[in-house]
Amino acid sequence: MVTQILDPTDERVPIKRQLTPRPEALHGTIALLDISKPRGDVFLNRLEELLHERAPGVETRRFMKPTVAKPAPQPIKDAILEECDFVIEALAD
Amino acid sequence: MHPPTKFSLLDAEGREKQFPPEGPVLLALVKEDCDTCNLTLPLLEAVHRDTDDGLDVWVAVQKRDDIGVLKDRHDLTMPLLDDDALDLSYETDIDTVPTLFLYDEEQNCTLQTFGFDKHEWREIASESMTLAGRPGVETSIDWESLPEQRPGCGARNYEPGVYERLQALKSGDLLSRLVDLASSDDIHEFMYDQGYTDGFPVVPPTRERVWKMLQGTDRDPQDEVAIVPPNLAPITVEKVAINAVMAGARPEYLPSIIALVEVACTESFNIHGVLATTMGATPVGIFNGPIRDRIGMNYLHGALGSGNRANAAIGRALRLCARNVGGSVPGGTDRATQGGPHRLTMNFAENEDASPWDSLAVEYGFEPTDDVATLMAMSGGPATIADERSRDGRGMAGTLAASMSCMQDPKSPMVDTLVVLSPDHAGIFGRSGWSKDDVRECIMEETAIPLKHRLRSDDAGAGLPPSVVERFGGEQALDLPVPKFQDKSNIILVVAGSSAAKFSTILGGWAGGVYSTPTSARIGPGGALEIRGRSGADMDKRRSGGKDLGAFEPNIRQR
Repeated sequence: MVTQILDPTDERVPIKRQLTPRPEALHGTIALLDISKPRGDVFLNRLEELLHERAPGVETRRFMKPTVAKPAPQPIKDAILEECDFVIEALAD
Repeated sequence: MHPPTKFSLLDAEGREKQFPPEGPVLLALVKEDCDTCNLTLPLLEAVHRDTDDGLDVWVAVQKRDDIGVLKDRHDLTMPLLDDDALDLSYETDIDTVPTLFLYDEEQNCTLQTFGFDKHEWREIASESMTLAGRPGVETSIDWESLPEQRPGCGARNYEPGVYERLQALKSGDLLSRLVDLASSDDIHEFMYDQGYTDGFPVVPPTRERVWKMLQGTDRDPQDEVAIVPPNLAPITVEKVAINAVMAGARPEYLPSIIALVEVACTESFNIHGVLATTMGATPVGIFNGPIRDRIGMNYLHGALGSGNRANAAIGRALRLCARNVGGSVPGGTDRATQGGPHRLTMNFAENEDASPWDSLAVEYGFEPTDDVATLMAMSGGPATIADERSRDGRGMAGTLAASMSCMQDPKSPMVDTLVVLSPDHAGIFGRSGWSKDDVRECIMEETAIPLKHRLRSDDAGAGLPPSVVERFGGEQALDLPVPKFQDKSNIILVVAGSSAAKFSTILGGWAGGVYSTPTSARIGPGGALEIRGRSGADMDKRRSGGKDLGAFEPNIRQR
């Protein structure tokens, strides 16, 4: 059960969260998220090749933000959450 | 109790049932562990069967797991709806089960009842037959075998814990951001990691706890209480309540905590400076009036220390508000060089019965029957004064003076100092017929030393700058006596503790008290009813001191 508490602060800063523990091994489906920066696709294409080569049982799924300037739309986040076990995001260019 | 007009619940088969259905309907709300519900469910089933398609009978069950139990126990065929979330129960605000609402074909609620009253149930059954198109036809219920009356049972939505949860979730009172914790998070570690705490664990401010806390005040949760420095963030009653929960407070402390937040954020008290200063000051709260006993504050054994929830939590809540809403964090805008343990919480009540004098609040112009909290900024102490030998006022005042003469450093004049006398020490003054002013005058005299001994020197660098001598007439002023304190009103006398022994406590003010004035609130259900700073007349005088004097204007006494 998820516990919820009320924020005691003035809510000016986002909640800091712990990083998810690093997994022991890759498995399932990996989301490859292109944030629409130039050459993000080049990077992710190569990464996808390497993943298929070195982790044959792992599937990949490609996602792309419509614009680099705004946060990912909720449907993309929901899809990644529902369909994938990991996400690799290609930041910057 | 409000007859519902619209809702949607799932039935036992998981199908959504939209209310109202077409045509007349009899709606009941029940729970399984209620004898009266079990007595009446077969009657509802009989109405369902006897009215056939002419009228719907819907029964909302307050726990999902009980639906199957009741269905099997009473061989029920009418729709049993799942109100496990208690949405319907909350909206209708029923406090008793069974509760019945009968609606005509135009969805007007024409009859309602709760518990079992045979006369009323008969009327509802008869009217149900009429609405179903069978006026005058009796149901198959054997009314003679039934008791005249049976009280209902308390509805689940009013059970302790459940009621608070529903209010917290559904009342719309709480608007603060919800922070989700993962199931793997340790809540105490999480809250510490977020920077929400003063280092000790805090009570997690769940919606239920915060809602319960808010019941301690009549004030709207979204009322703005104050603007909290240093971030100048508005603090609402809800935010005070959240931090009060975290501090371990009870709802009855909330008005006091709100009042202290209001006092702290006045220009007169200046919490910004108090918590930002490198000198490490902290607000010290002193309570007077009937509220001390009403909320169970300690003014006896260990009054200044640990062990009492009200003393500890009220002061801690104020500090957490300053930290979490105001943004005062050690090493950030809180620049205390060393700080002190009293910066966690320092809050106590005056032992008025043991005092030979008027209480602090009365001295500051309030009535003895007023509930009053006074905040003062203290950076030094608490330091113990031990005197088991003095038997009269003169001896006792001399001991106080000798102890107080070294506060901060022996040369520098002080302004505010808080003297917390034990009942035994206060009693000495009482038996000697000494007033508070007699004590103060004696301390002023006893701490007065020649101006030359208050000047900075090569062998002791603290003290007044040499330039002060010229301001007071040159060399001839060197031998004039200068008391430790600017004015006798800066010697603040209160009584607390038990009559265990002859030990008292002194706490030194911050920056001589110039930048923060003791400030009091008369406490009402919503916080401060009125706020008064100690007489400001002498504040201007102090502030007129030259830059080189810093905060201090020595009180040089002409012979």
